Amino acid sequence: MSKKYVVNSEESLKQLLSEVREAQAKFATYTQEQVDEIFFRAAMAANQARIPLAKMAVEETGMGVVEDKVIKNHYASEYIYNAYRNVRTCGVIEHDPAFGITKIAEPVGVLAAVVPTTNPTSTAIFKSLLALKTRNGIIFSPHPRAKKCTIEAARIVYEAAVKAGAPEGIIAWVDEPTVALSAQLMKEADLILATGGPGMVKAAYSSGKPAVGVGAGNTPAIVDESADIVLAASSILHSKTFDNGMICASEQSVIVLKGVYDAFKKEMKARGAYFLSDKEADMVRKTIIINGALNAKIVGQSACAIAKLSGFDAPEGTKVLVGEVDSVDLSEEFAHEKLSPVLAMYKAKDFDDALKKASKLIDDGGLGHTSSLYINSITQKEKMEKWEGAMRTCRMLVNTPSSQGGIGDIYNFALTPSLTLGCGSWGGNSVSENVGVKHLINIKTVAERRENMLWFRAPQKVYFKKGCLPVALRELSTVYNKKKAFIVTDTFLYQNGYTKPITDKLDEMGITHTTFFNVAPDPTLACAKEGTAAMRAFAPDTIIAIGGGSAMDAGKIMWVMYEHPEVDFLDLAMRFMDIRKRVYTFPKMGEKATFIAIPTSAGTGSEVTPFAVITDEKSGVKYPLADYELMPNIAIVDADMMMNAPKGLTAASGIDAVTHALEAYASMMATDFTDGIALRSLKMIFEYLPRAYDNGPNDPIAREKMGHAATMAGMAFANAFLGVCHSMAHKLGAFHHLPHGVANALMIDEVLRFNAAEIPPKMGTFPQYDHPHTLARYAEVADYLGIKGKNDSEKLDNLIAAIDELKAKVGIKPTIKDYGVDEQHFLDTLDAMVEQAFDDQCTGANPRYPLMSEIKQMYLNAYYGK
Amino acid sequence: MDLTHVIAQRPSKKIYVDGDKVIKLFDNNFAKSDILNEALNQARVEDTGINAPHIHEVTKIDGQWAIVMDYIPGKTLAQLMEENPGKINEYLEQFVALQRYMHAFRAPNLNKLKDKMSRKIDETTLDSTIKYELHTRLEGMPVKRKLCHGDFNPSNIIVRPDGVMFIIDWSHATQGNAGADVARTYLLFVLEGKQELAESYLRLFCKKSGMSRKYINSWLPIVAASQSVKGKKEEIEILHKWANVVEFN
Repeated sequence: MSKKYVVNSEESLKQLLSEVREAQAKFATYTQEQVDEIFFRAAMAANQARIPLAKMAVEETGMGVVEDKVIKNHYASEYIYNAYRNVRTCGVIEHDPAFGITKIAEPVGVLAAVVPTTNPTSTAIFKSLLALKTRNGIIFSPHPRAKKCTIEAARIVYEAAVKAGAPEGIIAWVDEPTVALSAQLMKEADLILATGGPGMVKAAYSSGKPAVGVGAGNTPAIVDESADIVLAASSILHSKTFDNGMICASEQSVIVLKGVYDAFKKEMKARGAYFLSDKEADMVRKTIIINGALNAKIVGQSACAIAKLSGFDAPEGTKVLVGEVDSVDLSEEFAHEKLSPVLAMYKAKDFDDALKKASKLIDDGGLGHTSSLYINSITQKEKMEKWEGAMRTCRMLVNTPSSQGGIGDIYNFALTPSLTLGCGSWGGNSVSENVGVKHLINIKTVAERRENMLWFRAPQKVYFKKGCLPVALRELSTVYNKKKAFIVTDTFLYQNGYTKPITDKLDEMGITHTTFFNVAPDPTLACAKEGTAAMRAFAPDTIIAIGGGSAMDAGKIMWVMYEHPEVDFLDLAMRFMDIRKRVYTFPKMGEKATFIAIPTSAGTGSEVTPFAVITDEKSGVKYPLADYELMPNIAIVDADMMMNAPKGLTAASGIDAVTHALEAYASMMATDFTDGIALRSLKMIFEYLPRAYDNGPNDPIAREKMGHAATMAGMAFANAFLGVCHSMAHKLGAFHHLPHGVANALMIDEVLRFNAAEIPPKMGTFPQYDHPHTLARYAEVADYLGIKGKNDSEKLDNLIAAIDELKAKVGIKPTIKDYGVDEQHFLDTLDAMVEQAFDDQCTGANPRYPLMSEIKQMYLNAYYGK
Repeated sequence: MDLTHVIAQRPSKKIYVDGDKVIKLFDNNFAKSDILNEALNQARVEDTGINAPHIHEVTKIDGQWAIVMDYIPGKTLAQLMEENPGKINEYLEQFVALQRYMHAFRAPNLNKLKDKMSRKIDETTLDSTIKYELHTRLEGMPVKRKLCHGDFNPSNIIVRPDGVMFIIDWSHATQGNAGADVARTYLLFVLEGKQELAESYLRLFCKKSGMSRKYINSWLPIVAASQSVKGKKEEIEILHKWANVVEFN
């Protein structure tokens, strides 16, 4: 022994604490192998001492049964060792290189252990072993009534541990315990393992240190009519007599359903229960409970001894005294926790009555602890579920003696073996399970930076080439065997024969069809609903959306509502930060119909994107929907459908595609896959948009190149997403009725300058985006387009100039003001636009996280021209 | 000072009336510190504004310490209860109302009830494990700051002819838990052999205050232990029995 003084005062305890701290600091450096050897030797030593320690405990406390205490000591050493022999508690306990997560176990330091008189040696063994396994120091504050045996148990574990190499002084104790010393210990320790009465547990929690404590139990056992009566009676007697009823999980009352009451009583009697007469019950009441508190003199005494103390003799061999009582109120002494072989027995008129009684007993005396049920667990699932829901206890034992069952690993091998049973918040505890090593370590989690998985997703088939439409449509019959097609388009296209080549082909293949041609620009929810109704009536297996963004977007919404009439539109429209983590799971699409998109303008890209924008005509709010479920199954890009697009549309759509490519390129989610497509698309637009604009139907090559470029830009932003330019354009368009492409064209210059800032107030949050580098990205775009400059800034300036030149060539005006937006109206709506743009779905991928004030400034610049 | 009219006599102290004053005269074996403490306690209670006799002097009369305070004319509530058994429920209502009224006062300078109880537990002749249990129980009690009389019973309440009630004898006053104060009152009734009155009192107090019987019960072992320190021999056995209870897990 290193300790050469008696710990009985504030000063000596202080001295002891500093020594244990020192020992623990050494112990904290031990390896798992060293610790496991110590844990093994200590468990062996405690195991060997199980009989002398049991004898000492009974002799000193005058409570309990030697043979049962032998089991507890044996359990505390063998079961605890067995449960944790292979558990890693030192250093790295978990490592996942792919996710970059490492978990490291560290000891908490010095534990304060409060040990009750009911299990003075087994609890000491249990806590010492847990402390050793977790590299903690531990100081015991024994109960004065059981101090000798508690200290002896701790000493045996300690000496074996030191012999096996543990630092001297790693386990220690207060020699002359007082409440003041135990309070001091609890205040000084790093963590408290308090097992004791409510007073002790409260003291532990008020010490200001984290505590793992347990509360009082008042276990009710319900015996259902379906129960195996023989098993139930013997189990309860076996449990209730164990160490004379001193395990806190022990049954305090039995609630028997009336149908089996007599049979159960008969079986209990036959197995050694003594049923008290009314007079004897009264005598026992007065003896066991004094003013609502448990008489110290009866705790852990035998049934016969308690009968004698009460003033009568129970037959020799009596195992348990049973009082048949009615009241579950605290005024009934039998309703209390008795910590002795005294049992209350109630008759329940039905299962609900039994639950009611059991709940009351638990609420008054055993919240959070343990409840027990005897039942046919195969046929009576419903009752079991009711019981599971009704009891507010952390251990719920089925067909199991609760003393031996509650401590775990004896009647169920997945219940953690422990002599400290957490009672959760109901019992004022921080732990609701059986306490084990995991409650005595601090786990450090080392998280290394990892980058998000990315993807490239596109429609299953993208068919393109001038004149490809009839060829592509052939598959509807030859590959897909479709029968009914529903065409969605707008009135203009319908009246001008744009759907005719399609319907001719469908007729030829014998596919019946109908056309909904009521889609207006900025399609509304009402329009989508109207189309859906028609769709439902027609029940197509194919949907063909033909047109610009409006027709294709409206078609997508109709598709969702047709396939999933049950979904709430507002759920679909819920914003997300990360599409993979969105709260709302988008419904599975394509089960009723295949969706085919055919663009008639070069710009939107909707034929290859998972997005759709729809306007609620009642509130005027635009809802952008985004999910890969919305991706068309087939896109058919045929320049023949675009040849006669008017100039304004050609310009606006073309510039829209420019912004798609630029934003996808600058996006934090941009990848090598999307970069290539975006650059190529941009180059094609710069080259062919002015030709398509100027020459119209006379320049089929320019039309075709523009059609392909727009679809490519769509594929880029379908995967890399967009940015704050689109956020602002969405709101500008909605508030001031500007075409979508024009709105983007008006904002893009501002956004390029904004994103290019090398020291932005806030950068976007995405692991791949490790520092603000968008200026360099724009310079890459300039390089690819052949735009010169002596450094990146100059290249950016020239890129902006080139974009301005392109805009001018296709008749886009420079400022918002130029489009006739009233200044006052603009300023009046500015703050609302700013806030909505900030909250737009597109903002999330932007490389610079915009402040609202910055968005406002960009709007102002774009209005007046900088 | 006229010391001819004795109105009460206790072991080691006599109480006289002189006009509108009461003189409490202590024997020489009474510790000076106890006498001064009693006067100080009472003065602190006086500060709260509750109906209690005011102190006028702490003095020595013929070498004996004396406290001079207001004389409150009237009968004690105990006398009234004795004289009018038919009105016992009415008196009990008043008694409980007065105690609850008192608990609403705060006297921040008074001694703390838990400190006092802790001291008393140490002074008992109970064995060390029982003391440990009691200390543990006391430690777990919530911290409260209510004005507690410590000996609240009908003989310490004087009802003036106009019906106004005064509380006297504040020598045990502390600030702390009403539950302990109520447990003490209950215990006093039981020790007087008035088991039935004790039960009615407790039921009524719980009903009026919403305090649980369980909470008041939880104070009984502590209060019984503290009562046993200067308790009568015949009471020691029951007090010790009340004190020897456990709270296990």
